[in-house]
Amino acid sequence: MKEAVRYLGYGNNTADERTCAMIQESFTELERAADPRSICRIFDMEQDADGTIKAANMKLVSKSLSRNLKGCVRLVLFGATLGIGVDHLIRRSSVTDMSRAVILQACAAALLEEYCDKIQEEAGKELEKEKLYLRPRFSPGYGDFDIHYQEPIMRILDCAKTIGLSMTDGYMMTPTKSVTALIGASPIKERCPAAGCEACSKTDCEYRR
Amino acid sequence: MITERLGKELLYFDGGMGTLLQERGLAPGELPEMWNVTHPETIREIHRKYIEAGSDIILTNTFGANALKFHDESSSLEDIVKTAVSHVKAAVREAGADRPVYTALDIGPTGKLLAPMGDLEFETAYEAFREVAKWGEEAGADLIHIETMSDTYELKAAVLAAKENTSLPVFATTIYDERGKLLTGANVPSVIALLEGLRADAIGINCGMGPDQMMPVIEEYVRYSSLPLIVKPNAGLPKQKDGMTYYDISPEVFADQMHRIVSAGACIVGGCCGTTPEHIRAVAELTRDITVTPPQEKDHTIVSSYGQSVFLGCGSKIIGERINPTGKKRFKQALKERDIDYILREGITQQDNGAHILDVNVGLPDIDEASMMKEAVKALQSVVNLPLQIDTVDAGAMEAALRIYNGKAMVNSVSGKKESMDQVFPLIRRYGGVVIGLTLDESGIPSDADGRIRIAEKIIKEAERYGIKKKDIVIDALAMTISSEPDGAKVTLETLRRLRQELGVNTVLGVSNISFGLPARPVINAAFYTMAMMSGLSAGIINPSSEDMMKAWYAYHALMGLDENCEAYIGKYTQTLSSDEKTGGAQHRPGASVTLGECIEKGLKEDASARTRELIKDKEPLDIINEELIPALNHVGEGFEKGTVFLPQLLMSAEAAKSAFAVLKEKMDISGEVREKLGTVILATVKGDIHDIGKNIVKVLLENYSFDVIDLGKDVPPEKIVETALDKDVRLVGLSALMTTTVVSMEETIRQLREKAPLCKVMVGGAVLNQEYADMIGADFYGKDAMQSVHYARKLFS
Repeated sequence: MKEAVRYLGYGNNTADERTCAMIQESFTELERAADPRSICRIFDMEQDADGTIKAANMKLVSKSLSRNLKGCVRLVLFGATLGIGVDHLIRRSSVTDMSRAVILQACAAALLEEYCDKIQEEAGKELEKEKLYLRPRFSPGYGDFDIHYQEPIMRILDCAKTIGLSMTDGYMMTPTKSVTALIGASPIKERCPAAGCEACSKTDCEYRR
Repeated sequence: MITERLGKELLYFDGGMGTLLQERGLAPGELPEMWNVTHPETIREIHRKYIEAGSDIILTNTFGANALKFHDESSSLEDIVKTAVSHVKAAVREAGADRPVYTALDIGPTGKLLAPMGDLEFETAYEAFREVAKWGEEAGADLIHIETMSDTYELKAAVLAAKENTSLPVFATTIYDERGKLLTGANVPSVIALLEGLRADAIGINCGMGPDQMMPVIEEYVRYSSLPLIVKPNAGLPKQKDGMTYYDISPEVFADQMHRIVSAGACIVGGCCGTTPEHIRAVAELTRDITVTPPQEKDHTIVSSYGQSVFLGCGSKIIGERINPTGKKRFKQALKERDIDYILREGITQQDNGAHILDVNVGLPDIDEASMMKEAVKALQSVVNLPLQIDTVDAGAMEAALRIYNGKAMVNSVSGKKESMDQVFPLIRRYGGVVIGLTLDESGIPSDADGRIRIAEKIIKEAERYGIKKKDIVIDALAMTISSEPDGAKVTLETLRRLRQELGVNTVLGVSNISFGLPARPVINAAFYTMAMMSGLSAGIINPSSEDMMKAWYAYHALMGLDENCEAYIGKYTQTLSSDEKTGGAQHRPGASVTLGECIEKGLKEDASARTRELIKDKEPLDIINEELIPALNHVGEGFEKGTVFLPQLLMSAEAAKSAFAVLKEKMDISGEVREKLGTVILATVKGDIHDIGKNIVKVLLENYSFDVIDLGKDVPPEKIVETALDKDVRLVGLSALMTTTVVSMEETIRQLREKAPLCKVMVGGAVLNQEYADMIGADFYGKDAMQSVHYARKLFS
């Protein structure tokens, strides 16, 4: 709820009563339309002296990712989607009522984040048995981590087949409410490292937490 | 020929390929098809082992070999496909089996989502499958096996491509989840309806689950399908170790479970992920002696969309008639202006009101009906999951729509005239469909039931010559108005009864024709509707927004025991809070002192239109616009810019204003008054970009401020934007892009506009853009938010 309000551009303001009611309704509708699915595959990873990351037959070059994965020994490839039903619902609303479409859009984004957090937590519990601790997930397009890495990640996870997630020629994910990410696992438990939003360099963003 | 053996004896497929290649060193993300060239011995060895284990059908290693998925510069796709076929053929020779072993060209999905939800056009997908199918046939494949499809639309493209470009038998299997649905939402009957319509030779299920988990889906296939059943499960559910996926059901357990599947009715069996030659050997040994029960012919009449199947013949189904310009001025205007949203809203309203199928008629004398029909069908299928009924007399439009329709459509219509049957039946044969047969022919409409039954018989018989079964025909008994034919209703009702009883065929009627020329038509219509349902009406073409008709429908189903525990009836007619009351929407009641301006500012949609209706009684529409609407919109807009009003509220106000404008427009259309438009603006989300919320927000606002908006939609090629700008002489183009990867198309669009339409201004917006970026790609204006675009447009046109 709080996240959805933030995605709607309210910043630190509280939403009016009607918007809140519509947000509630939207979540209910989304629960019905969504068919969340996810996939994780865990690989060993190495990091060269120059920061280049090697895992799953990939070489990843990105300063921001290197920082995020410093000290990690395993790498979780992660894909998740709320499914195509959500896209249909949003599209349907944008024909009949744009305000509802915009609210659904924000709620879906919030729902997706929450779902990803849940899956990540489950994966984290598994890895904790091996005394490994997860870093915040890091997606192609964050910082200088090139969006084009989305392609090999989705290929290795076989996302189209496993969770019905594909992308357009422009690297846009379909269904639109989807995430791909890398999550590092390190033997050292760090104290609450900065995650997605806070780690972003775009400090003037109106959606910033 | 393998087709002669289908359904008569048990045939064995091979098992997994990918998992075996991984064991032999295929790296994560590496393309397995490359191994046809780099490791030919390994591929042949795997094929050989399957033949030795008992497989009668061997799949080529071409699952991902299509131009959309396979990208490798070192070898041509044609080579990969043809080499793959030759490997199977060589393995067959090497194995020297004493039985025929068939080479099946394996075709998997493209890995992309088709438009309108994705960016892959149906015809592009078709083309990718077409070339692979042709190469396969040229190289000597015995059949084409399309598998692991999770989207009915892509499945249709693949099956059509294989059927239309080769003479090979076509097998098709889909991948279900644990709820028995495809990832894109289709259920089992809708997949079966689609594939039977496209005349696949054998159909079934592969991948996704282990044999036991597949059982419920298999039972559905046996219940609804008339075709030989293919089952290829995984060796259980996937597990993971060290980044590798593995499956752990042993050959013995797998065989045991497959025994049950064969006994349930599968006659072409094998394995998918994780299965090995040992699995196939165990299955063959354990099941070899089971006698195959040939698939039974089913007589379900099913129409389907991508996500739903509707069965005709149980209860009476509602076909919404509102998407039709006949007698509707506003609809005609929408068609002429290509106002697709208007058509979509008609569709959504009918679904909300209870329609099961939507009739789609977009025929007007002066429009290109084929292209309009295609556009309408595609657009409707992106917002409404109901099956559609393609309603046209233009064979070109009918074919265009049937080809791109996602599912098995209903078709309106064929008649007993020879010319009509010669035209329509070949289309149904090619694309599948349930077709309405009108009981009229060269000598007109028979005045009695006997005559109409005879025409129905003629239609059914002629359809048979095309291999179209009776279950795919629905006869229209024709309702003739009682104002000119006193016995009209009685003849129609008798015809209905006899069609069901004597011919055993489903029936349909355009119900409201019965009252043409009479006053208070709903009274007659509703009574006749009940009588028709009672006489065996499988589906009525009606207006679901008519309360009288819907009351008749609910009551009939409750009375006839077709509505269990009267649940639907109670659900419909028990007083509940309207959603407006829940959201605090309709606070205004007639007589309350809320002004139109307040309704707009508070974003109360229903109240705004109600209040406007009151106001127009004694105020001029233009005065209402200038004195109430525009000031309210301005006030909300200012609040938005100051940060006291937020986006959802801005849009609620915009929607409320829109509903007020709609009321005013009605009035102005009658009086011939016009609200002067400030100008015309093109809006588009650029090529490669499918995220159009931002663009739609700008559209709503611009329209309220009296701009004509030409909405070109999303994923729009630069050429189309330039062409429209020139064609319509437009001075302002608004472009939206969400990501850095798609801003490239934005830049290209601007470049082309500058070159060919230098007078046109360009405003841009979207998540990754900022002023600097907008300057860099040469835009005239960067709109930080939707209101900025409105200001810019107003300034430009003032």
